[in-house]
Amino acid sequence: MADSVLARVAQGDQAAVAECIDQFGPLVWAIARRFSPNRDDAEDAVQEVFVDVWKSASRFDPAQGSEKVFISTIARRRLIDRLRRHSQLPDFAPTEELDVIGWAEPGTRGEVSVEAERAAQAVAQLKPDQQRVIELAVLQGLSHSEIAAKTGMPLGTVKTQMRRGLIQVRELLRLDAAADASTARGRRTAAPADEGTGS
Amino acid sequence: MNMQRRDEHLLDERIADLLTQEATEGLGPTELAELDRLLARFPGSDRDALQSTAAAVMLAGEFDAEPLPAALRGRLVEQGRQWLRESATAALPAANVASLPAARASRAAKTPAHHLGWWAAAAAVLLAVVGWYPRLANTPTQSVVQTPTPPAPSAAQRREDLLKAVPADRLVRWDWATTKDPAGVGASGDVVWDPVTQKGYMRFVGLQANDAKSMQYQLWIFDADRDDRYPVDGGVFDVPAGRTEVVVPIDARLAVAKPALFAVTAEKPGGVVVSSRERIVVLAKPATA
Repeated sequence: MADSVLARVAQGDQAAVAECIDQFGPLVWAIARRFSPNRDDAEDAVQEVFVDVWKSASRFDPAQGSEKVFISTIARRRLIDRLRRHSQLPDFAPTEELDVIGWAEPGTRGEVSVEAERAAQAVAQLKPDQQRVIELAVLQGLSHSEIAAKTGMPLGTVKTQMRRGLIQVRELLRLDAAADASTARGRRTAAPADEGTGS
Repeated sequence: MNMQRRDEHLLDERIADLLTQEATEGLGPTELAELDRLLARFPGSDRDALQSTAAAVMLAGEFDAEPLPAALRGRLVEQGRQWLRESATAALPAANVASLPAARASRAAKTPAHHLGWWAAAAAVLLAVVGWYPRLANTPTQSVVQTPTPPAPSAAQRREDLLKAVPADRLVRWDWATTKDPAGVGASGDVVWDPVTQKGYMRFVGLQANDAKSMQYQLWIFDADRDDRYPVDGGVFDVPAGRTEVVVPIDARLAVAKPALFAVTAEKPGGVVVSSRERIVVLAKPATA
């Protein structure tokens, strides 16, 4: 199997740098635009994110998830750091604009990643309050106190729902991954019999 | 025993709270320090799990499909290749590479006049800054690599490599200025910093040797893009007795794209999270025009 683009970056492959940027740059740019106050700031953020990507490339483990999620995790971490650095979480985003940011329609995010689709399915299994706080925090970048103010929930409830919801999503994603691994093992085990009974 | 189990449960809950907060809105310096402490005591937690879960959830949201701007793409490619080249040629020891902070490529070349103006203003303001402290709690101690060099590329050699590799208009290179602090009397040298690769070195001549059991030096870096109250922790270091000149790699804990001032303080062993600023030993800032 061919090495992932991150593996090749980690090996010092200069061509992989451009490939990685072409493959994931638009995604990182979209994330940066979402969580940055203006275009210049988003450009700075993207550059920071990619330096983090180069540095972290050797830590990428395909068994733990896709390159998209790996890079998106780096991007989120960097953007959160920048938001905190620029005072508080985004007052700069007009509320009416944030209100229209939401979950993608089911079936329209197939090009993003399997994990994203599964994450959406996992979120759909949460209680409504948990879905709401996670949406406001993760999609819209609101702080916990801003979520409390927006929803009228006590801050402690926001934190509790956030924690329980996110942990539940994590567990559901792990179950999916475990099921995938089990299915793959089953296929491998079944292969000789299939061959034996085939035409 | 029940009490112990209850305490452990509360600690688990606290760790989960902090990890959730880290994954969703980030942590302040105090909370970050607390999480680091707790995870050091209870190392079973997967620190990245909730962050990657949040990332997967984020990907489930709607995103505007907008192509990467061509000019930005060009800068990214250049920055990436430069990073790889310099990582390869510098052949940094693994520990040092691992400790390098996240880099941010400066867009300084796009607006040099603006930044030059800022440097002067920032330097004046920052000299009078009060109440500053770093955002991160962990203050790793790094060992001084002395000149003349040990085997493998020494800090001094790597500094020379950096000077050769990085264009002068990109490299920050400022001389140290002393204060009234006795440890810095007669000291000289310079600091070099490349905002693209986030590599840099401090060179000191005549900085007083310290007894690491009672005092260590600590570098703070003020970044134009950050709140002045939160200089970046640049690492703790020692100057051994009998060394006239030392070169110390900078171990910035966060990205520093637009350095405005480097300050070395004398602190308790291990460094501090919040500096009292009682002993500012040397400073480096842009030369005033």
